[in-house]
Amino acid sequence: MTSDCSSTFVTHRLVDSRAADARRAGVVGQPSSIAANREEHIDGLQRVVLNERNRLLRFLAARGAGDDAEDLLQDLWQRVAGTSGQPVADPISYLFRAAENLMRDMRRSTVSRERRQFDWHDTLTPAEEQPLGERVLIAREQLREVEQALAALGPRVELVFRRYRLEGTGQAAIAHELGISLSSVEKDLQKAYRALTQIKAKFDAE
Amino acid sequence: MTTQFSEEIEEAARLWVIRTRDPAFGDWKGLTEWLESDPAHLAAYEAGLETDAWAGELFTHAPRPATPQISPRRVRWLALGGAIAAVIAALTSWTVLGPNHSPQEYATTVGEHRTVELDDGSHVVLNGGTRITIDPEKPRQIELADGEALFTVEHDENNPFVVTIGRTRLIDAGTVFNVVHQNGSLDVAVAEGSVIYEQGKNGIRLNAGDALSRSTLDAEPVLRRASPHAIGAWQSGLLQYDNAPLDRIARDLGRNIGQPIHAAPGSDRMHFTGTLVIDGPAEQVLPRAGALLGVTFTPAGDAWKMTPADDTIP
Repeated sequence: MTSDCSSTFVTHRLVDSRAADARRAGVVGQPSSIAANREEHIDGLQRVVLNERNRLLRFLAARGAGDDAEDLLQDLWQRVAGTSGQPVADPISYLFRAAENLMRDMRRSTVSRERRQFDWHDTLTPAEEQPLGERVLIAREQLREVEQALAALGPRVELVFRRYRLEGTGQAAIAHELGISLSSVEKDLQKAYRALTQIKAKFDAE
Repeated sequence: MTTQFSEEIEEAARLWVIRTRDPAFGDWKGLTEWLESDPAHLAAYEAGLETDAWAGELFTHAPRPATPQISPRRVRWLALGGAIAAVIAALTSWTVLGPNHSPQEYATTVGEHRTVELDDGSHVVLNGGTRITIDPEKPRQIELADGEALFTVEHDENNPFVVTIGRTRLIDAGTVFNVVHQNGSLDVAVAEGSVIYEQGKNGIRLNAGDALSRSTLDAEPVLRRASPHAIGAWQSGLLQYDNAPLDRIARDLGRNIGQPIHAAPGSDRMHFTGTLVIDGPAEQVLPRAGALLGVTFTPAGDAWKMTPADDTIP
């Protein structure tokens, strides 16, 4: 039965950026007409951007882009349009993920600029004037406390957190691996994250 | 940060932070609506992300003598910097440079696919959360440290292509093959050509359509047949299953069509092995999948209901 399916393989290949010109010309408001008129130029992810334009804009706006949502979508569009063929498993989710990453990176660079330093230690302690040795000690102390807190939540919570947050394993795979339900995995993660929030708040207050 | 939001908002924000980290996360509509419903939600979500990043940095970077580092992945991302670097990186592929370089690690974050092209025309597609190491001195000997990769190999009788997984070696004989490696468990499926699985003195030849899995580092490998078409299907927009419960498949399908699918009770006891095509609108995807799964999908408002087709109930 699988061989019947494989004939309908579709990979999303990006051809060129001419569709971006179409967008700049202001015709993107009618995605269906573009898709029809420019069938040969718009492919894969580009078409998905057109189809999902409103939902992506809404997401970007809600995600903190506000009035800049259009500009950021343009950024996203050009990244997508300027790239050569890459197969993507779930194009819609892929684009939303890219939009989320865009917002996270914006945020990170804003924060970094505010701190005028890119050193990772900044994210650990706000006090830049602390000497390096002291910052290392603080980081070590924080890590020790986090590890203790996770251990106190039980070996399963700690394992789930490590697999998910540090090793990047998906929740479904973890559930399968441990023979527990997806919602148990999520509850374990919530416990771990709750503990992290408390510890971070404590350190922030110090 | 904790006093800024109500307990309830903070908890909800944390849940979104947790969920969006999953490579399989697909409820972007839900996230949008939640963010829109209260201006405090965005700030709470950002605070949650900050905690998440803080914890990640601690584990990855805080100096801990005599304890192995988890992964240098994070460093790579930070080093790229810039607002759009992650987006660009998520869409590009690498070309392996010539000699005079020390062994290089190539890693994907969760939810990303990347292609590593080798000089000899071979290429490796990395699924999300995967790490491989290539020594430019020996570019045809790749170590799969963790994760899943699809190898398409230019065969050279005199210079075999070798994938190492700890002490295990996979030696190609003109081949397309997929490897999943997680904590010592290993799954190899051969789509074209053949591969020799070598662990210690034992060698097992796997031809096209053969698959081998091993649950732990020291477990006996188990052989099975696999559909060559389905091998590496994850890179092409297909959902591939091996004895998966139908409620999980319903969730996967729902994510891909962008509408929730409610599975009838008992679907977790039904299993499916095979591949589903997820290209096209729900009206096409679901009947096609339903025929294979032995279920019927019926629209229910904004969602779908999945019920067993009567004549297939065992």
